[in-house]
Amino acid sequence: MSLNQIERAQGLRIRSTQDFAGGLFMILLAIGAYVFSWELPAGTLRQLGPGMLPKAFAAICGLLGLMLSLSALRYHGEKLAGWSWKGIFFALGGACLFGLTIRGFEFGPIRAPALGLMVAGPLLIFFSGLAADDRKLPELLIFAVAMSAGCILLFKYALSLPIPLAPWLLGI
Amino acid sequence: MMETLSHLSLGFGVALTLKNIALCFAGCLVGTLIGVLPGVGPIATISILLPITFGLDPTGALIMLAGIYYGAQYGGSTTAILVNIPGEATSVVTTLDGHQMAKQGRAGIALGIAAIGSFFAGCVATLIIAALGAPLTKMALLFGPAEYFSLMVMGLCFAVVLARGSILKAFCMIMLGLLFSTVGTDLETGQERLTFGVASLSDGIDFSVLAMGVFGFAEVLRNLESPEARDVVKGKIGRLLPGWADIKQSAAPVLRGTFVGGILGILPGNGAVLGPFASYTMEKKIAKDPSRFGKGAIEGVAGPESANNAGAQTAFIPLLTLGIPPNAVMALMVGAMTIHGIIPGPQVMTRNPELFWGMVASMWIGNLMLLVINLPLVGMWVKLLQVPYRLMFPAILIFCCIGIYSVNNQPLDVAFTALFGLFGYLLIKLGFEPAPMLLGFVLGKLMEEKLRQALIISRGSFYTFIDYQERPISLALLIVAVLVLAIALLPSISKKREEVFTE
Repeated sequence: MSLNQIERAQGLRIRSTQDFAGGLFMILLAIGAYVFSWELPAGTLRQLGPGMLPKAFAAICGLLGLMLSLSALRYHGEKLAGWSWKGIFFALGGACLFGLTIRGFEFGPIRAPALGLMVAGPLLIFFSGLAADDRKLPELLIFAVAMSAGCILLFKYALSLPIPLAPWLLGI
Repeated sequence: MMETLSHLSLGFGVALTLKNIALCFAGCLVGTLIGVLPGVGPIATISILLPITFGLDPTGALIMLAGIYYGAQYGGSTTAILVNIPGEATSVVTTLDGHQMAKQGRAGIALGIAAIGSFFAGCVATLIIAALGAPLTKMALLFGPAEYFSLMVMGLCFAVVLARGSILKAFCMIMLGLLFSTVGTDLETGQERLTFGVASLSDGIDFSVLAMGVFGFAEVLRNLESPEARDVVKGKIGRLLPGWADIKQSAAPVLRGTFVGGILGILPGNGAVLGPFASYTMEKKIAKDPSRFGKGAIEGVAGPESANNAGAQTAFIPLLTLGIPPNAVMALMVGAMTIHGIIPGPQVMTRNPELFWGMVASMWIGNLMLLVINLPLVGMWVKLLQVPYRLMFPAILIFCCIGIYSVNNQPLDVAFTALFGLFGYLLIKLGFEPAPMLLGFVLGKLMEEKLRQALIISRGSFYTFIDYQERPISLALLIVAVLVLAIALLPSISKKREEVFTE
């Protein structure tokens, strides 16, 4: 028996976890989009309604996802690799911190003070910098302050974008 | 011809004001500065730098953006030569021979010939744009909604075929982009679609939020994952100006590269990406001794770099004349133009001629600037390349965050971008290349509008798209689209395609 035949004899199994998961992901997104556009009228061909294209695109996405998952059963491909949870937590968390504190935020029970770029900037750099495996805290601290100062000069003064600097201290 | 000349002189009149020269210079400089960072390609560079143009008038902003674009392109080549990390698909080829040259102590010459070749290609491409701009704009006025729709379908088919990796996955990304473009208030009925009741989604997903999330944040996450392996050329950069022998050797490849890249760049659907590959293959075929390639042959840098720059520039043609972005970078340009209140398309040239021709002229000035900036500053770029990633990525993040915040002065946008960053990271993990998604996203709204108009005109009949008597152009465009897809799906070709993209 040639290798090909052995391969075929083993039947269908998941040969590429990456493609398989990718296909499932597309299917899930498509189902979500389809469900949420359920109530939008599709209209007629002569007068397309608001729901026509979202539903059509969602259907095609789902179909492609199905094809991708099925092809993962037949053809070999990449495997799913691990996630960098640290990167997600620190880098994206840092960005969210910046968003929360730059102008203050109030959402139900969550409240954040308006700290302005002078605080939110170093905060973002320091917090996200923790994601690196080879971080050095003193260096990161100095860099956070220096980089924020540079950004303030560039964006606030050179480009005069309306960003609050430190409303609690300077009133701007 | 006379018309072209008078247009160009109008353009140079606009571009040569002190302010616009300064903007072009600043754009080229910061574009190179960010583009030179390893792992940051032109798409990420432009999305990071988009906010610094917000305070300017539209003409100045576009001139600066064009400068940023060339700077990013050139910065990518610098990284490819010095660090062996291609910033994006088009500079992959440069790493092959460019980095070898650098290892042999000829880094300066490789950078020099890349700059000179790019400059030459840029000059020619500027002339092509000036010459083709007016006639193509006239042709665009003949296009009805059906033709526009078919053209976009063709563009997306090209983009699927020319994307890296699996065709099926590229197709998924385009459709996902189209799906995202339907989020927001429906233009005709005012009904909210897929907004989940979130107020800031009622205008649709913000373009810069999507771009910076998927290309800024997600790239950072991707790079954080793998420990650094940066192979910065130690030794000397060496002489920058190529000697007479080098120039003689690269003159013909530069000419051929410019020609090939320029033509492929005009194609809708990311033809520019093929330019460097085509040029490299051609040089290798023509060469007397093909075995030198991959070991530091100067033709392998001169040809593809010229093709790259020529294509990068002629890619503006579909955008400026038809208003249809051919690739993800141009999709970003559309986003940038829309932020400044300009809708790209044939009307730009007639309504704002000084903007159109000013931008064309500034392309030439931008190319000159690159030559002037880059050659003396190479030493500085090398220093910059030695900045460790642990400091680089927080800097990228704060640029992105300030940028997103200043688009709408909306703190919530930053959180949305982080969400898209997570989404983009997920896509990368699942093996999807997100660039086609951006193209689909930008084209989606336009496609829906044109589809609706076309169907209203044809009273609900799809036959209008393939009506060979009334609309032969639309039919021809669709036939090309089907052919391209069919050819790409043929097994023998798709095997070849994989070879090209893995080489």
